[in-house]
Amino acid sequence: MTDDPPAGARDRLTESELIRRARNGDVGAFESLASAHTDHLYAVVLRLVGDRTEAEDVVQEALLRAWRGIGQFHSRSMFFTWLYRIGVNEANRALEKRLRQGRSVEVEDDSIVLVAPTAEQPAHTAEQHELGEALDRAIAALRPRYRTALVLRDIEGLSTREAAEIVGVGEAAFKSRLHQARMKVRARLGDQALVAAG
Amino acid sequence: MRLPRRPASHGWSQEHLSHYVDGDLSWLGRKRLELHAAQCPECSLGIRAVRGLVRLIHSVGRDSAETAPAGIFDRVRADAAKAHGASEPAHEA
Repeated sequence: MTDDPPAGARDRLTESELIRRARNGDVGAFESLASAHTDHLYAVVLRLVGDRTEAEDVVQEALLRAWRGIGQFHSRSMFFTWLYRIGVNEANRALEKRLRQGRSVEVEDDSIVLVAPTAEQPAHTAEQHELGEALDRAIAALRPRYRTALVLRDIEGLSTREAAEIVGVGEAAFKSRLHQARMKVRARLGDQALVAAG
Repeated sequence: MRLPRRPASHGWSQEHLSHYVDGDLSWLGRKRLELHAAQCPECSLGIRAVRGLVRLIHSVGRDSAETAPAGIFDRVRADAAKAHGASEPAHEA
């Protein structure tokens, strides 16, 4: 049996206490625990699968797996890296399924909406916007393992250690993968445009 | 006795541009790359291009905040309700 505190009181509980309660079957505690990360997780998965409906499906499935597997969560890793790992694995599973069905794993152009420049904004902002779109296309064209490295480290801003843990490789291997990903994007965008943007 | 020959600096530098930009190289590695880049236009351009790329990607990350859809916990809730229902004692009619 689980004691069920009101939502406000639950917000004040520590992560380890929420984990303990979630392990005992308190779904509210699990939601409090996971909801701190769902926006970022959804953003990562959307970047990986490139479709909002599929991203929602993947995140729902990842949360369900996390809920069912919370008993196996070991506190030596952080909850968010564990949750992201499940999410990234689910996203890769969805991409593999898409490949088996002969569908493209490239992200659709309109899946991630950048802020469009307004008429009052200077010309260089429009150029930046254009470059941003080209960047989106270049990232979308990456194979999933490279796309994942770039999304976690450069877009989401996770540390190398965290991103490597989520992907399930060592830090040196992750850095090498990230370098390869950047070189592929660099080749598509061209050095002159990148130097000008920097 | 001769020291083992080091691999060519150009190939090594090209393979470590990201590591350099991220500050992941040792002091010795940094110096090695900087000394080579000072004489190699290709590697010098490579450093500036990777630096520009990382800045550009960071700016995209900042501009594209996403919010998870409202029903994102629906399956978890349904699963929890099912499990809760299964653990309830059956009532006799």
